[in-house]
Amino acid sequence: MDTSAESRVPDALRERSIGRPTPLIDGIEKVTGRARYTADLPSDGALVGMILRSPVAHAVIVAIDTSRACAIAGVRAVVTGQDFAAPYGVIPIAQNEWPLARDRVRYRGEPVAAVAAVDRETALAALAAIELRLEPLPAYFKAADARAADAVLLHEKKKGNVERDVDHAFGDVDQGFAAADLVREQSFHYAEVAHGQIERNGALATYEPERDRLTMQSTTQVPYYLHLTLAQCLGMDSAHVRVVKPFVGGGFGHRVEPLNFEMVTGALARAAGGVVRMEQSREDSFLTHRGRPETDIRLKLGMKRNGEITAVDCEIVQRGGAYAGYGLVTILYAGALLHALYKVDAVRYRGYRIYTNTPPCGAMRGHGAVDARHAFEAMLDSMAEELGLDPIALRRANLIVPPYRTQNDLQVNSYGVPECLAWVERASRWRERKGTLPRGRGLGIACSHYVSGSAKPVHWSGEPHAVVNLRLDFDGAITLLTGAADIGQGSSTLLAQVAAEVLMLPLARMRVIAADSALTPKDNGSYSSRVSFMVGNAAMRAAEALLDVLVNAAAKKLDVSPADIEWLGERCVVRGTDRGLAFASVVTAALVDNGPVTVKGTWSAPPETQGGRLRGAAVGSTAGFSYAAQVVEVSVDQDTGAVKVEHVWVAHDCGFAINPLAATGQVHGAISMGMGQAMQEETQYHQGLPLSPNFLDYRLPTAVESPPIDVHLVETIDPLGPFGAKEASEGALHGFPPALTNAIADAVGIRLTELPATPDRVLDAIVAKRRKDRLDATRAES
Amino acid sequence: MDTMCAFELKRPTNVAEASALLAKPNARVIAGGTDLVPNLRRGLDAPATLVDITGIAALTALDLDRAPRVIGAGATLAHLAGDPRIGDEYPALAQAAAEVAAPAHRNAGTLGGNLCLDTRCVFYNQSEWWRASNGYCLKRRGDTCHVAPHGKRCHAAFSGDVAPALIVLGAEVEIASVDGMRRLPLAALYRDDGAKHLALAPGELIVAVHVPPAATGSHSAYGKARVRGSVDFPLAGVAMAVAFDGARIARLDVALTGTNSNALSLAGTETLVGRAADDATLAALGNLVAKQVSPMRTTVTASNYRRRVASVLVQRLLRNLAAEHATD
Repeated sequence: MDTSAESRVPDALRERSIGRPTPLIDGIEKVTGRARYTADLPSDGALVGMILRSPVAHAVIVAIDTSRACAIAGVRAVVTGQDFAAPYGVIPIAQNEWPLARDRVRYRGEPVAAVAAVDRETALAALAAIELRLEPLPAYFKAADARAADAVLLHEKKKGNVERDVDHAFGDVDQGFAAADLVREQSFHYAEVAHGQIERNGALATYEPERDRLTMQSTTQVPYYLHLTLAQCLGMDSAHVRVVKPFVGGGFGHRVEPLNFEMVTGALARAAGGVVRMEQSREDSFLTHRGRPETDIRLKLGMKRNGEITAVDCEIVQRGGAYAGYGLVTILYAGALLHALYKVDAVRYRGYRIYTNTPPCGAMRGHGAVDARHAFEAMLDSMAEELGLDPIALRRANLIVPPYRTQNDLQVNSYGVPECLAWVERASRWRERKGTLPRGRGLGIACSHYVSGSAKPVHWSGEPHAVVNLRLDFDGAITLLTGAADIGQGSSTLLAQVAAEVLMLPLARMRVIAADSALTPKDNGSYSSRVSFMVGNAAMRAAEALLDVLVNAAAKKLDVSPADIEWLGERCVVRGTDRGLAFASVVTAALVDNGPVTVKGTWSAPPETQGGRLRGAAVGSTAGFSYAAQVVEVSVDQDTGAVKVEHVWVAHDCGFAINPLAATGQVHGAISMGMGQAMQEETQYHQGLPLSPNFLDYRLPTAVESPPIDVHLVETIDPLGPFGAKEASEGALHGFPPALTNAIADAVGIRLTELPATPDRVLDAIVAKRRKDRLDATRAES
Repeated sequence: MDTMCAFELKRPTNVAEASALLAKPNARVIAGGTDLVPNLRRGLDAPATLVDITGIAALTALDLDRAPRVIGAGATLAHLAGDPRIGDEYPALAQAAAEVAAPAHRNAGTLGGNLCLDTRCVFYNQSEWWRASNGYCLKRRGDTCHVAPHGKRCHAAFSGDVAPALIVLGAEVEIASVDGMRRLPLAALYRDDGAKHLALAPGELIVAVHVPPAATGSHSAYGKARVRGSVDFPLAGVAMAVAFDGARIARLDVALTGTNSNALSLAGTETLVGRAADDATLAALGNLVAKQVSPMRTTVTASNYRRRVASVLVQRLLRNLAAEHATD
């Protein structure tokens, strides 16, 4: 028993687990190469799984003859759409996709059959031996073509190939425009982009025929949804399915819904009665897709002379691809997040999500809101110019004061835009430099925001939104059990930090076991930046529950009331005395009578943050909005149209930085990803075939053109976030594209209404402007 | 990327042995493999034998003291980019080598490999499934060029950075085969046909490049347009060698890559000899380029941009080299 009270560390000097830059707890495995990703998992004798894809964009499946493939020696299983019990889709009301196409194929590259064979050559031979009889249908590669009156419907009952039509209006929009001093309207076009997650897709499925049990290890962000979907599509009892997430190399939304190859691998393993490994190519990732859709936006803004926004009218059309996926959420997000960044009292939104014969789009970092934010911030900039206002002053004329309820019933409890603006203004020396730079060099600003987890889960089951278990056993180690999927963003580290902080114990005492359905409590998954906020809150509550157990045990052992115990983490004392216990002794005391301890912490978004009664109102609702502002400095080569990002200053209101190192890294990542979309990434199709399904032609930014990025974390201490924390990985993305094009406007006077701002587009705009300037000059002379 | 076809890998230790191996049907050379391996993984070729020439010491030899200079075809691009003797005498060559792909490619990729780079096209550099779905193309297994469906030839673009630099420097290639050695002006190595762009007979191997010493007072440079700061092939690449007589152009050679199926030697530059590198001359040179390049839709970037930027680059090079000359 430790009875010395003299060595007590004053609280102020205690090494805290939160608020300190903390290397990721699984970083060592990654940098030493010990981390096992799905493709690294050992599996002696696993069969090779391969998928046959449709060569055409739209057709009726007349027949799929697999008899020749089945007859090849070494082929252990061949499956088609007929081998599945049900279709799937991440949104329960929009499940219209089969793991392997049934009856119809709707995009080039859609999986139609799959084989498992003893080796790759045999599998390839089997694929080649499958006979597809397809009867072609007209195919639509553009939203406008799919909406044509005489277009064949991709899905029954979806008139005009409109998957979802949103018609929302808040406040008196007409009155808002009437009250405006300046009204402007502009159309924008955004290319389709993809996630570019580094790890390619793969799965390892083990089926035990004797027990009818399936174990799936896969590259997923959503092990729980995958679990549900495997059971549903394979017609299995979910108790017979186990899903394990190995190390995962990024997701960005590509893997926030169960993907066809996962159910296919499961079906192959079951059909073969063994182990099947599926390893996919980069091209497969582009065909599986789920990226950000090609989007057309028409935006009309009304504004007072002082920059105050009086009305917003926005119409958005998204080319959704062949299946629903997250589509309806995407089109709802696009409208919902017109709110909650600025005080806007009159907003009309029309959204159309269109089915087309292209790979299905889905959720991608900044889900739904990135393109609309570009349009909005670009128009704020051009209207500021017309009104002779500084773009920062214009934004300051529209600030929210929390707590604030938006017109569409979103709750804003903390709001760091003023601090973010102040920091980027100062750091970029905006006041001294804006407008004084030489031609060809410019500064641009934009603000942005994002949710910290969708306040309503996709599957509304009435369960808490997040659950964490903590285990304590004789060894004094604390094991945190969570279903949350760490995909590189650092969630396991963050959860360990939160629990260690509450328990005042060193991080080294924590061990995290994540995302194995046999061991960990269910978690909805890593999407919509929900984990830090929701699972962080659950971890905090679990730690508080464990603390309660420990304090009670210490009190009993020391024969005092729990209120008399002063908890110091590695030791505790009876308040005001030098009597106390070392942590090991407290653990021993806690296990008396009851044995090893398991506690639970749960958290749910409070009802007032879950959105209003309006149809679709659940999308966009969150318990905490993150905010960001950024200034981008560019130089533009006016002869080649090449744009160089010279510097980025970004301030992100993450509420409280539990791990400033990881949060800063996430902001860097958001900037890079925003930069890729803004400057060079795009998926063009040739008759439905992606032209750049590889990392040579699909141009992710490289280190060479990555600019210096100064990150400042603003801490507004959100009342609902764990220790005040909010999300840190998405909100800064939305601001980059508009800050970039606003900077280009400052540099060379062109306003780009189409992204990405590739050199050819920039040069076209420069040439067009020169022509117009010449024409204007001639007119002025005559 | 798919796995490669099965092949026999041979590692000869001298050129004669390599030539003998390459004389066999369906044998291909491999050195750095940065071009060939991705293509093999895509099923763009299925050689029975790969002849790995990286074990032939003679191919990496450099003799920069005699005229002409001799650079072994096995010299790595990283070496060409980093050797100060090359940078001093042939800036265009060093700059072009430094602009190829990314550092890892340059460490593995060789001079010979870059000169013999396969032509590229978005309808060709795709997987077997992709090309089959698209009915293949004129360059391999098909009968239509998707870039120009009514034409009769393949428009895949030559995209090597180093070739135009060596062309303007007056280089010749030394070619070995079982029949002996031959020399060819580098410009003549290329044909404007994307499916048959190299004037090499089966079994022939480029063993070295011969470059005449740079004349005193001559200048050279290479400029490359691309979307990213690294990795990308040229949307257009321009090499220039120029000599001045006072402020007037005494000799001017320009060659381009990325815009045609061959490494294009610009014709008509002699019409600018005797002129100062003033705005009118730059514009005339820009026009020569714009007229002679014929970029097609072989990349995801619009072809008219590639034409325009080639014209901009060539003017920029001449302006810069004239300025360099003025400060000499």
